[in-house]
Amino acid sequence: MLNFIQVLFDAAALGSLYALVALAIGLVFGIMRLINFAQGDYLTIGAYALVVPTASVTPPLLFGALPWPLMVAGVLATCIIVALLTERIAFRPLRNANPATLLISSFAVSYFLQHALMLVHTGRPKSIAMGSSLAQAIDIFGVRIPGVQLVTMTVTVSLLIGFVILLKKTAIGIQMRAAAENFQMARLLGVRANKVIAFGFALSGFLAGIVSLLLVAQTGTLDIKMGIMPVIFAFFATVIGGMGSLAGAALGGFLVGVTSVLLQAYLPPDLRAFRDAGVFALVILVLLVRPKGLIPSSASRERV
Amino acid sequence: MLAQDGGLHARDVHVAFGGLKALKGVDLKLRQGEVLGLIGPNGAGKTTMVNVLTGFQAATTGDVTLDGRSLKGLGPRNVARAGVARSFQAARLFRDLTVRQNLEVAAIGSGKKRKEARAKADALLDWIGCADKAAMLAGSLPYGDERRVGIARALALSPKFVLLDEPASGMNDQECDELMLLIAGIPDKFACGVLLIEHNMQVVMGACRRVHVLDNGKSLAEGTPAEMRANDEVRRAYLGSKNTGSQVI
Amino acid sequence: MVLRLLKQAWPVLGLLLPLAVIVLLADQFGSISVERSVTEALIKIVTVVGLYIFIGNSGVVSFGHVSFMAIAAYATAWQTCCSALKPITMSGLPDFLRSHTYPVLPAGISAAILASIAAFVFGLILMRLSGIAASISTLAALFILNVVYSNWDKVTMGTASIVGLPTYVTPWLAFAVAGLAMVIAYLFQISSWGLALRATREDEVAARASGISVYWMRLAAFTLSGLVMGMAGVLHAHFLGTISVDTFFLSLTFITLTMLVVGGMRSLSGAVLGVVVISFVTDILRRMESGVSVSGQEIAIPAGSQEVVLAVVMLLVLIFRRDGLTKGREFAWPFARRQSISETKHGDA
Repeated sequence: MLNFIQVLFDAAALGSLYALVALAIGLVFGIMRLINFAQGDYLTIGAYALVVPTASVTPPLLFGALPWPLMVAGVLATCIIVALLTERIAFRPLRNANPATLLISSFAVSYFLQHALMLVHTGRPKSIAMGSSLAQAIDIFGVRIPGVQLVTMTVTVSLLIGFVILLKKTAIGIQMRAAAENFQMARLLGVRANKVIAFGFALSGFLAGIVSLLLVAQTGTLDIKMGIMPVIFAFFATVIGGMGSLAGAALGGFLVGVTSVLLQAYLPPDLRAFRDAGVFALVILVLLVRPKGLIPSSASRERV
Repeated sequence: MLAQDGGLHARDVHVAFGGLKALKGVDLKLRQGEVLGLIGPNGAGKTTMVNVLTGFQAATTGDVTLDGRSLKGLGPRNVARAGVARSFQAARLFRDLTVRQNLEVAAIGSGKKRKEARAKADALLDWIGCADKAAMLAGSLPYGDERRVGIARALALSPKFVLLDEPASGMNDQECDELMLLIAGIPDKFACGVLLIEHNMQVVMGACRRVHVLDNGKSLAEGTPAEMRANDEVRRAYLGSKNTGSQVI
Repeated sequence: MVLRLLKQAWPVLGLLLPLAVIVLLADQFGSISVERSVTEALIKIVTVVGLYIFIGNSGVVSFGHVSFMAIAAYATAWQTCCSALKPITMSGLPDFLRSHTYPVLPAGISAAILASIAAFVFGLILMRLSGIAASISTLAALFILNVVYSNWDKVTMGTASIVGLPTYVTPWLAFAVAGLAMVIAYLFQISSWGLALRATREDEVAARASGISVYWMRLAAFTLSGLVMGMAGVLHAHFLGTISVDTFFLSLTFITLTMLVVGGMRSLSGAVLGVVVISFVTDILRRMESGVSVSGQEIAIPAGSQEVVLAVVMLLVLIFRRDGLTKGREFAWPFARRQSISETKHGDA
């Protein structure tokens, strides 16, 4: 029983992490039909901003050396700036392209960022001593929960609440929701496309920054490819949840994280290695049964 | 009545999109060898009706039969192969294929071999007077030609019935006259019934012997063009709608 | 009559002749490293033509195609490699593979056929989806295959490389297979199925209304492109003599898609031209990364520049010339009167 509760906590922690990445992807997809693979590279770049570019495996700290509020601000700012730059330089000129072209272009942006980062930091994985105080487990009713997991869940829940307030109560949030529902209509009603899209990218950069800090605190390592798997899982999560629907993205992220932890815990040992294949197969299954995802955004059926 | 239930026959068709009722009981019968006009103010449900007849939209209730056989549950592709073809309001040509290939595709879709398909395409291109443009890309055609190629593509399926969705929109007077003659000639030349949805009354009056009027999702009246012009209800339906009132009557 | 045939076959011949000249030059005068680069590019042509058969004709972007390369590469490896080690390193193989070694030709052919069968089976499910959902599922398929092959230790040796495959691929053999792939692609593209599929690419709704089955046309192309990807996988395996599952993953997907997009994904000429251009650029960059001497001084650009440049080229093409260098046209018969706008419009590349 205790073991089960432990698994549940693992599941919730991973799920909420994916939910954050999925939210970022869902946000950008909603406003410009772009599935942004570069989301993973935003967070990788954010993590690498903690250290000074060297070839060393244990590099000296850059933002990581600052007191924590400044460190967080530095990482967030880095991610936001990178996200805004990619929007301005690569995605804005392609705004009217079809989704397939956009998908390919985000592949290209991701490939570019990844290898540009490699040019600066070299491709070697690095270790970074950070957040060691968070690594200590806290004992709650006999269940040992690593501090990082608690922080992750707290941060996620407060961010999700913050997002709901932002989207429901603020002017820019309402404009974003309108744009996600029907972009053309929103433009006609006076929503300024550039502003809303840039804001969406800034938010996705912000989320990337948060996720990168949480990831680094959990693992203590930096890797050029550290963003790929979270973004792939999150991306499939948005598909499962319903593309363009923010609630769906968060839910999907949560589901994917939970499924993945549960499969890990309860699959027969021989099959455990194939766990991820199960998660990916789930995507295809959901698309077949509910092509619009679990929580579809407003129907955008093609009129004949 | 000749064949017990020949023709393309829609009975009591209802279509609802969520709470919005687009069609509320339409009865429509299209016979072999005739050109039937389908008119009505904007939003009357004409295009929805075409979508129902061609399998693009399932009727919420009601049924469509072709020569007595129900078309229920057949998708657009199978309806097309069963013998009901359509053109589109926006011509929707295959822009990056040549004009001839556009027609060939439909002939192939109806089950023809490549050689027959090409022959069919060339014959149709002759008929619409576009033989010289066979090798052009469809995307580079002028507007009027685009429309005619769209009609020819529908006919390349060798259908029993063809449904033309506003083929004359955006054409000038001379083009409209030519189109009218072309459409009026379809039943004899292709042994095929025509349902013509059109706003331009000149074309409708010239091409159709019979006109069916839709209003607000319901069948309002049916008769000869002259009868429709004299019909008070039809007048009211049109005059109530600002968009087309003056132009129509 | 001969002229007519020549004209009809021109889109393939016009591509093959210059390629033959390049291969001949590399074979006669090139260093071993040039010869290898040319062979690699020819194998890439097979790969990208395989992609083109599906993506170019259907307009649906697939991210999963290199999986079929992997399937064929492993299948030919199981049949041909390392008879002594196989029973130990790949103990999970069925007996007819574990304790027998087969000649390379039937092995290659059966491997390519297996890839196309796999494509057909995947396609049965994936082709039910359209547009962006289909693209996403092909990506999911890529990941599924990667996970399976990376962890199926007793059969694939997991993420470790299988070494010791016979290396029989010469430039001329690669050229011959590239030619075969192009002929297959071209015959499909001008067939009635190819035409119908291109119609669905232009307008799915109108294609349905014209009696075309979008599902079956796409499935046919998916299966055929799986076969050609399989051919590429076999060549790849027997050119390097070693295979590992991570070779057939995101990086290769990206590079081959870049080639297709840069050349112009809607024509065979585009697929081939894209490979030639990108291979040339990356080869130069690769040589610069390993260092070149300029007036006595050894200069090297940092490792990774190759990929950065590639990504930039890709983005520039997407932004400024979305239809690729060939704008989606085939190379025209060069001796014709100039036609204004016709199906054989000249690619102005």
